[in-house]
Amino acid sequence: MSKISKSPNKKANSKAKQAFNEKFAYRSVIISVIFGGIFLIISIFFNIEIITVFMDKNVLLDIVDVLIKTSVILLFFFFMMVSIGNYKEIVGKPISWREFLFLIVLSLGQSILNLWVFIFTVLGIIIILIYLYLTQEI
Amino acid sequence: MFIINIFFISVLFTIPCHGALEEIDPNFGKAPTIDGQIDSFANEWDEAYKIQTNLTDLPINLWVMQSSSKLYIAVQIELSEVVNRTSEFVGILISNSSSEDIKDFIDAKIVQFSNITEDEFDYFDYFINNSVFIPDSASNGNGAAKLEGETSTYEFSIPINNPQGSIDEDVYLEYGELFAFNITYGLTPSYPQGIMKSSIFLININYPPRSELPLLKLTIFVFTIVIFSLAVVLYGFYIYRIIKLKEIMERYRR
Repeated sequence: MSKISKSPNKKANSKAKQAFNEKFAYRSVIISVIFGGIFLIISIFFNIEIITVFMDKNVLLDIVDVLIKTSVILLFFFFMMVSIGNYKEIVGKPISWREFLFLIVLSLGQSILNLWVFIFTVLGIIIILIYLYLTQEI
Repeated sequence: MFIINIFFISVLFTIPCHGALEEIDPNFGKAPTIDGQIDSFANEWDEAYKIQTNLTDLPINLWVMQSSSKLYIAVQIELSEVVNRTSEFVGILISNSSSEDIKDFIDAKIVQFSNITEDEFDYFDYFINNSVFIPDSASNGNGAAKLEGETSTYEFSIPINNPQGSIDEDVYLEYGELFAFNITYGLTPSYPQGIMKSSIFLININYPPRSELPLLKLTIFVFTIVIFSLAVVLYGFYIYRIIKLKEIMERYRR
């Protein structure tokens, strides 16, 4: 029989740490989804071409237009990716390839009205995926 | 005194006009630069309706073209017999309908050369009341002229379908309507006394052609709308799942 019993404090600490991690992850889910939503709304305005202030005026404004459109799609993709990733972490399952592809299709689908936006979005998504892959805990 | 003067003017001088020579259906084309030059290198007036016609007995080349907001008219005159002319003008008198009655010509756009050899000209916009030319309070449209050799070219742009213009002083050229235009020629800058030659043309103000969206573009646009709708719906569903997750977490903690 062990003279030293297992410390109940250690168990409690571990539980508290887990609760803290979950709380933190949940907060990250919420904040990321809010940002994702904001960029989705901005993307609707620019990529459906409701806002056309920079379009077809001169080359410089065309570049600004493409930059805005691409950035909002990529930011939407990034924040939604972070949110879904943290959500899955709380649930205890890994993010599936199906969800992964679905998010990529939803992001690329926003860019198909403009070829340049589409090309830069593809490049941006590849860069984000590489970044997320490299920053994962192995 | 002023009223008597106007009466005398209207009695003594009437605008010469004859029956309409032709009904013109202008083509839609690229807006030309109104500078008195028909720039063939820039393909100006390429799409215009072109005719060789006469103002009374004066042969002219007439170009008529339209955009969604303007009617463009160019008149080219070759005068070899009048060598020492210093001033010259071409005016476009516009009827408020297709009526060729002199009283219905209430609007005049005139380009008057003040010094033809120096290419000095003025553009005037007049309201015509009983053959009296009264300058508009706000000039609408544009006009320019240039002399090259013995040929003088006059270009005009006249706003169409523009109810914001001075309604009382200008003819409102409405889409789908036919209007009578009296193209006039003269030398001295006095109107209507200076008008020497004129001819009436009927011009249709056509509706702008509908820009047809290509099928592929339409399909892509519909697909984009579907994608965004799907994104919004899934976003809503995801929010619902997050709220549910919060409840599960709280239950688990208890």
